[in-house]
Amino acid sequence: MATQAKEKLVAIVDDDELMRGALQGLLKAVGLRSRAFASAEEFLKSGLQHQTACLIADIRMPGMSGLELQAKLNTEHCRIPTIFITAHGDAKMRMQALRGGAAEFLAKPFDDEVLLENVRAALDS
Amino acid sequence: MKVLSKLRRYGLATISCGIALAVAWPIDAPASCFLLAVTVSSLFGGLGPGLLSVGLSALAFGYFFLERTVPPAVEPAVFLRFAVFLVASLLIAGLMEMKRRVEQSRNRAKDALRQAQSDLAHVSRVTTMGELTASLAHEVNQPIAAAVTDANTCLRWLNRDHPDLEEARQAASRVVKDATRAAEIVSRTRLLFKKGTPQWELVDINEIIREMVALMRSEVTRHSISVRTELADDISQITGDRVQLQQVLMNLMINAIDAMKDGDGTRELGVKSQRAENQQLMVSISDTGVGLPPQQADQIFNAFFTTKLHGTGMGLRISRSIIESHGGRLWAADNPPRGASFHLTLPIHAEGHE
Repeated sequence: MATQAKEKLVAIVDDDELMRGALQGLLKAVGLRSRAFASAEEFLKSGLQHQTACLIADIRMPGMSGLELQAKLNTEHCRIPTIFITAHGDAKMRMQALRGGAAEFLAKPFDDEVLLENVRAALDS
Repeated sequence: MKVLSKLRRYGLATISCGIALAVAWPIDAPASCFLLAVTVSSLFGGLGPGLLSVGLSALAFGYFFLERTVPPAVEPAVFLRFAVFLVASLLIAGLMEMKRRVEQSRNRAKDALRQAQSDLAHVSRVTTMGELTASLAHEVNQPIAAAVTDANTCLRWLNRDHPDLEEARQAASRVVKDATRAAEIVSRTRLLFKKGTPQWELVDINEIIREMVALMRSEVTRHSISVRTELADDISQITGDRVQLQQVLMNLMINAIDAMKDGDGTRELGVKSQRAENQQLMVSISDTGVGLPPQQADQIFNAFFTTKLHGTGMGLRISRSIIESHGGRLWAADNPPRGASFHLTLPIHAEGHE
């Protein structure tokens, strides 16, 4: 299982450079391969969405939001287990994300252990 | 310093009386010459020197001119003329003193007005910042969240059976970067709350624009607005008050965001700086929002004019008075096909010019 997980890609979509760096660093520390994107558009353009086994996305971003990205992927029948992390998530947003198939909805700053559990669960699924 | 100025003023009174005497003697016109001396002394010296010149003039008049008539001053008309001269010169000294006092109180009123304007601007700034609290909190929370993650990552590398110091060092230096960012945001915010007398200095308008765009980042993101900045690279130095100029830009950007947040279609906030005519710099803030109220394009600058539910109607009024006090202009125009744009001009700081 572990060897298989290593081949799977985790995508990070966040407009904040520091956050992208932090997430990539964390995933590297647990031996996971990741790619970071500054916007939802950049991620969609990369064509890597079909190889992505787990998506970590911010909700509020300039341009396409995290929820819009999720909806777009759903219409393309590209269902990637998604973990949302956001600084101001309200109950409504959380509901919308979970209904759209989100695996988890975490508030910043988040517990790294909880995030990693979710990422591992997504990669194992 | 005070003694010196007093000495100068009383000296002026004495000298002008001396000159008046020298001029009056050959042409035998003491009244007009001494009146002139009294006028000059009271105008430039104040009440004390004015009265001194009245006394000196009276003495000189009595000694040199009343005695001069042969037989010495017997005609009542001569004394009458002297009396009229005395009354007139006292009147002049008194009037000049009154004029000076009126001017003083007017200056005091002007200072008070300026202070009141600055206080009002501060209140409006704090109110605006209050509206931004959620966004500012988010803006600080972001690097803190990154710092927490980076610190945890650092611990992970250290807690391994064989600690990876290089990776841990990298994670730790990211923590430093994150914390520095958070501190920068806090100090930038605190600057805006600062209250004080206007401080004029050389400021880079592009730098102020960049700072305000950074501060507005999450407010803009919250409403899915994209920001397009286009900054002139050759000119940006002006002389002015940094906090006040930040406030104007903040007001205009918040207005632009408010105008767009409930609408459909593209939401774009444009911030542009460019060279304009007559050694001026022009900054334009444009939006693709609801646009200006028709037929009321200039009324929006009036005090208490507002189209917002909770607006004070002071933002644009204060912004315009700040820009005008910097020697510039602020006006609004349509931004075809949709929205409004606000333009402001400011004089470019000239080299070697104070």
